[in-house]
Amino acid sequence: MAGVNGDSSLAPAEASVALDGVGKTYPGDGDGGAVRALDDVSFSVADGEFVCLVGPSGCGKTTLFRIAAGLTEATDGRVLLDGTEVTGPTTDMGVVFQEYHLFPWLTVAENVGFGLERSDRSPAEQEARVDEMLDLVGLTEFRDAYPKSLSGGMKQRVAIARSLAVDPSLLLLDEPFGAVDAQTREMLQRELLDVWASTGKTVLFVTHDVAEAVTLADRIVVMAADPGRVREIVDVDVERPRERGNAAFAEYVGRVRELIGAGP
Amino acid sequence: MATETASPVGEGDAFAGVGLGDGRRLLRGAVGVAAFLLVWHAVSLTQDPFVLPSPVAVAGAFASELASGDMTAALFQSVQHWIPGTLAGTGLGVAAGVAFGWSRLLDDLTAPLVRTLRPVPPLALIGFAIAWFGINDWGAAFIIAVGAFWINFYAAYGAVEGVSEDLLDVGRTLGVRGDLDAVRSIVLPASMPGILTGIRTGLGRCWMLVVASEIFGVPGVGREIIRASNNLRVDRAIAYILVLSLMYLLVDVAFRAVERRALAWRA
Repeated sequence: MAGVNGDSSLAPAEASVALDGVGKTYPGDGDGGAVRALDDVSFSVADGEFVCLVGPSGCGKTTLFRIAAGLTEATDGRVLLDGTEVTGPTTDMGVVFQEYHLFPWLTVAENVGFGLERSDRSPAEQEARVDEMLDLVGLTEFRDAYPKSLSGGMKQRVAIARSLAVDPSLLLLDEPFGAVDAQTREMLQRELLDVWASTGKTVLFVTHDVAEAVTLADRIVVMAADPGRVREIVDVDVERPRERGNAAFAEYVGRVRELIGAGP
Repeated sequence: MATETASPVGEGDAFAGVGLGDGRRLLRGAVGVAAFLLVWHAVSLTQDPFVLPSPVAVAGAFASELASGDMTAALFQSVQHWIPGTLAGTGLGVAAGVAFGWSRLLDDLTAPLVRTLRPVPPLALIGFAIAWFGINDWGAAFIIAVGAFWINFYAAYGAVEGVSEDLLDVGRTLGVRGDLDAVRSIVLPASMPGILTGIRTGLGRCWMLVVASEIFGVPGVGREIIRASNNLRVDRAIAYILVLSLMYLLVDVAFRAVERRALAWRA
């Protein structure tokens, strides 16, 4: 498999993805010295778990996301996916960005099928898989539309379907609902939980929206800035579906906000 | 589930604004042309025909050249320069532009060379055209190809440089591996709008270069313009210039239609 080296010695047995002492230093240029963006970040996400990553702006959430996805190289430490070290992008991780990044020259169905074309599935299997994914995100009737005619929420559904089509074991999402309106965001959150429940994927979800994290996550990794590091990991012990009016919900939101605002 | 509204395939918007507004634009264009012809005619009455022939004289020259068959023969000869020159220049220009725009190594290797050769006008290469190909169709095609090459090279180069890094990242997470796969599946389609604009610009520019490419004696429309000018037959010269304009217009309209089809996905 591309981008993954065999090495399983140090991975926690049940972890789907493990970050092990991940650090990132950007070399300084001229007057400014080197910048330590991430320092010794370690946590793991168990198989089938939904983990949210929250933190103040500038805490290196997106850098960490890119390192986990194999798109940026860490200066120190490593990322293990199912026990093997991640050294580059791999189809075992589905990646969803805030700005969708759909291929504008491909239709909805062709976008969803993009990764499948590079798999060993037969054309008939690919088509069936595309249909299945479109059905999963409710976009079957838009299969021949180009992305330009879709709303933001629909584009993000296509992006999620596209990343799930190749059947990755881990789904990585970087503020995926940051660019849509509040109402659409709540709907997409519910849909993502449905998809998670029906596919059993492991999810690592980056967000700056604390209420979103409390709505979605089994556990919340709260980060601190300068340098970006793990401040605390909060278990969210509330039954789903979670109601925002609920006292326990509000308590978790308050606690995570406090952790974020606590300063370095 | 999909409770948001969106139009399927977004038909309709492309033709918004056609209708009354478009008719008015055509009418205004016609008025402008008529006014221009009137002024031209009025001025030509005060001048010798070798300084400025009247539009009527030009129309007469056009008709007689067409009737004699000279015009179609010249056009046919020029097309034989234009087609191979444009094809070769466009093909090589797009290929080189994509390759150098994508590969940092190729770009670094060739940057000094490209910057030295770029300002050389195609016409300055007539010596090479004669030496390498002779005073014939291939020499003329060479001059045209040089012009087409640079336009397409820079259009493709810029378009490829502008391809979003994020789309390439998405591609990598979906299994795109290696330069060839990335160029074929992401870089080329993403830069197609820029490449097509380059091709269209090049197609027009090549009709202008037809004149230059025939300056050293290869027969064709350009040669007829130069000969008519040398004989102070300005009416004939303008008649042949009109042939170039018409060809340019024809090719441009046809290519725009192709472009619209190819880029139907574009917002």
